[in-house]
Parts: sequence; C-alpha cells; structure tokens
Amino acid sequence: MDNAVNMEKQELLSSITSLSLQNSVTKEEVIQAFENGKQQKTGVLRREMGLAEVLYFIGGFIVFVGIAILIWQNWSTLNSVTKILTTLGFGIAAYFAGVILNREERYGALGYAFHLIAALVIPLGLTVTFDQAGFNTSSAGTQSLIAGTLFAMYLSSYLVFKKPFFTFFSIAYATYFFFSFTNFLIGSNPYFTDIKFYEYRFLMVGLSYLLLGYYLSSTEQKDLSGILYGFGNLFFLGAALVLGGWKPSQNVLWEIVFPGLVFIILFLSVHLKSKAFLTWGTIFLMAYILKITGEYFSGTIGWPLSLMICGVSLIGIGYYAFTVNKKYLSTKI
Amino acid sequence: MNMFKHKNTPLIIAFSIPILMILFVVVSIYIPGLFVQPKYNFLYSTGEDYYGNRQYSVIGGRLIINPTPTPSLNYRSYGNPQLYVHNVMTNESMPVSFEDGSNYFLDSNTESPDGYKLENGSSGGGFFPFWYDRDYGSKYLVGHNVSKKVNVRSHSSSYNSIHFLGWIMQ
Repeated sequence: MDNAVNMEKQELLSSITSLSLQNSVTKEEVIQAFENGKQQKTGVLRREMGLAEVLYFIGGFIVFVGIAILIWQNWSTLNSVTKILTTLGFGIAAYFAGVILNREERYGALGYAFHLIAALVIPLGLTVTFDQAGFNTSSAGTQSLIAGTLFAMYLSSYLVFKKPFFTFFSIAYATYFFFSFTNFLIGSNPYFTDIKFYEYRFLMVGLSYLLLGYYLSSTEQKDLSGILYGFGNLFFLGAALVLGGWKPSQNVLWEIVFPGLVFIILFLSVHLKSKAFLTWGTIFLMAYILKITGEYFSGTIGWPLSLMICGVSLIGIGYYAFTVNKKYLSTKI
Repeated sequence: MNMFKHKNTPLIIAFSIPILMILFVVVSIYIPGLFVQPKYNFLYSTGEDYYGNRQYSVIGGRLIINPTPTPSLNYRSYGNPQLYVHNVMTNESMPVSFEDGSNYFLDSNTESPDGYKLENGSSGGGFFPFWYDRDYGSKYLVGHNVSKKVNVRSHSSSYNSIHFLGWIMQ
C-alpha cells in the first residue's frame, strides 16, 4: 500500500471518528459503505464469468468422463503402470498446469478448468493406485485413506494459494472423509443401522455447511456462501424430514420438530437475505404438508379433499415466498 | 447483522460438529465394549452343510448328532464340521470334541439368560460415492443397548458361517 493511499485512509478514519463524536454517522452506515465496496468487487468478478468459463468447466468435466471410460473399457488390457499414469499421473499433471496457468492473469479462468480436471481425476487415480497396490477399494478403510489424502491435498493447496476453488474442494473432500471414516469406525456393528445413521450424518453435515456458509459470507470468499447455504439446507432439512419416517414406523418427535426447523430457516432467509434459505425452506414446507396430509388425513377425509387442502396450502406458501423475496431479499446471496 | 459475538464462532462450531460426531461414534462403539460382561459361554459349529442339513443339533439341552439324510440328487454330503466353545471372558474360541460337547447342558434359545444375543454384522451398502463393504459374516454379542464383536472361528465370511447351538449352562 503506497503512502498516498495510507494517508487517505488515515484521513477517512479520522473523519469517521469525528462524525461519530457528533452522532452524524451510524455504525451501520459505515459497515454498509464498506460492504458496498466488497459487493462491487465481487460484482466485477461475477461479470467476468462468461461463456468461455462455462465452456472451460464443461470441457474439464468431459475430459474426466473420457479418462474414466478409457480406463473402464481397457481395464483388462492396460498394465498397472499405464493405469496409474493415465489417471493419477494425468490428474497431477492437470493440477500443476492449473497452478501455472493461474499465475498469469491473461489466461483468466483457464487454470480452473485444469484444476477441475485434477479434482475429478485424482480421486479416480488414487482409487486405481490403491487397487493396483492390492487394497480393497470398496472398503471403508481404503476410502478413508483416499478421502483423507484428497482433503489434506486441497486444504494444503488452499493454505498456499488462498483460492476459493480449493476451499470448495477441501469442504467436498472433508465431507467424503467424514462419511468414509465414520463408516470405517462403525465397521459391521449391528447397532448402527445404515439409513438412520446416514440421516443423522447428513443432518450434521448440513448444519456444518450452513455455519460455514455464514462464516464465509463475511469473508472474501462470500461467493461460496450461496453454494453452502443451498447444500446445507438440502442436507439439513432433507435429513430432518426423512428422520420423521412414515406411518406406521414414523418418528413423532421429528415430525413435530420439523415445521419448527423450517420456520427457523424461513426466518433466517430474511435475516441473512438469502434466497437459498427461502427456496429450500419453501420447498421443504410444501413437502412436509404433502407428507403429513398423505400420512394422516388421506384415510380420514379422503384423497380428493386432502389434495384440495394441500393445493390451497401450497398456493399460500408460494405466495408467501414470493412476497418475502420481493420485499426483503433485494440483495441475494 | 452478526448472529455470533465473535466472527470465528460459526467456523469453530462448523468444524466441531463433525469432530464431535466422530467422537460420539468412537465412544458409543468402544466404551460400551468395556462394560459388556456376558456370563454365558456358547457352543457353535462351523463347516456345516450348505443346504442346512445340520450334523449337530440340541435336543433337551443335550448335543446330539443328527442321523445322516438319505442321499438324493440335491443332497450335498456333510463337510467336516467342527465344534467350538466360545469363552466370552477371553473372547476366544477353542475347538471341542463331540464327547466333550455332549457333556454340557445347553440353552438353545437365541437370547442368553443374561439377555445377550449372537447377531450377524451389517451387510455393505451406501450410495455413490459412499459405497462400502462390511463383514456380514462377523458376529456380535448384542444386549442391554451395547454390542461387542466376538472372535469366532469360521470357514467362510457368509452370514451363516457358524451354527449357534446353545448357551452353556453348566
């Protein structure tokens, strides 16, 4: 930061202090002015995302599919070294290509296309490598090793390069590690029935995503908040709804708690100005009404009347969501 | 508006949730194992006929050898079944002869007098990308809201790899 900017900053802070003394400026106004600057910056970045970048990412994904099919079709003819080189070797090469391209501004998002290839191909490469080393790749222990390696790699990449792309894949592979490691821990223990345990884990992962999204919304990586809010709400509310079960083996506690959770999410949509909260809250409220009607009322008042009540409720919820969106969520996340 | 007093609080909670869940799993699996103290050893056989034609069974609390079934087209002869006594205190199985086994008085109920059952481990499952294998042939003593893996000796990893005969009463 040069001296001119530093002096300008000192003057500005002094002005804020004197205006604050005179009660001429509020804390919210200062914070809002600061946030406006951040939003303009991200707005510029968003506008830069154009057709070329979309094509980069689609291209990256197609390359991954091509490698996967190549290996699958020639599995019996390729030797171990070739299998590892075409998957793990290619993934590592793509990773370093991404690192080099990201250094040069003139290549724009091209580097991320290579990073995407690496992020998809390296897991495949690690699976092939472990398989060739004689590990059972479908065991939870081996999957924990693969997921742990990927998580460590992308977390280190984030710490070195400080790019949101690496944050995203760190979170994705941390999630993979969480599921595979807990699978490894429970082993074949009959007390942990598969579906119920998955439901509770998704509930917790969803909650973690929501909190991470909230934390990132106040950092320079606020663009990731929308994705985390979306998946967080999907996992959290989805798991809570499924935990309610279905008659006759329903869980009444979760069925009672669920609408409370949905209304908290809808309340937070206004508080956080988040369309992801509003959208998922609305969708799950509709799903809950359909579920409860089908479960408890279709047999008593009949399906036709149940459907009419459902329909009117859904229209009401839809209108509520529309009003909230229009009135409060002018700035979306 | 910030919902938390400190900026890093949501980050700390977000990381704590999965870590606490992993700790919960560890505690709920390994700690109860320390307190599971079944009292009754049990007798079982391995290598029995694949089609369920058992060589050994229990009648009136005593181990017997079943008469050999009449040979037929679908009949597969008995293998060479082996009897074992599982010691629940040491979690080890020791081979016993039929003569020794027939001296025991056995309770062939699936649940032991002190409330434990011998159950199979869970089968594999999951969904993309979380597929995983599990050892369906592994055995657990389950009861009083706890479970403990038992080291049985078996010839295969299938769910019916061992044939439970009874809890040893005396």
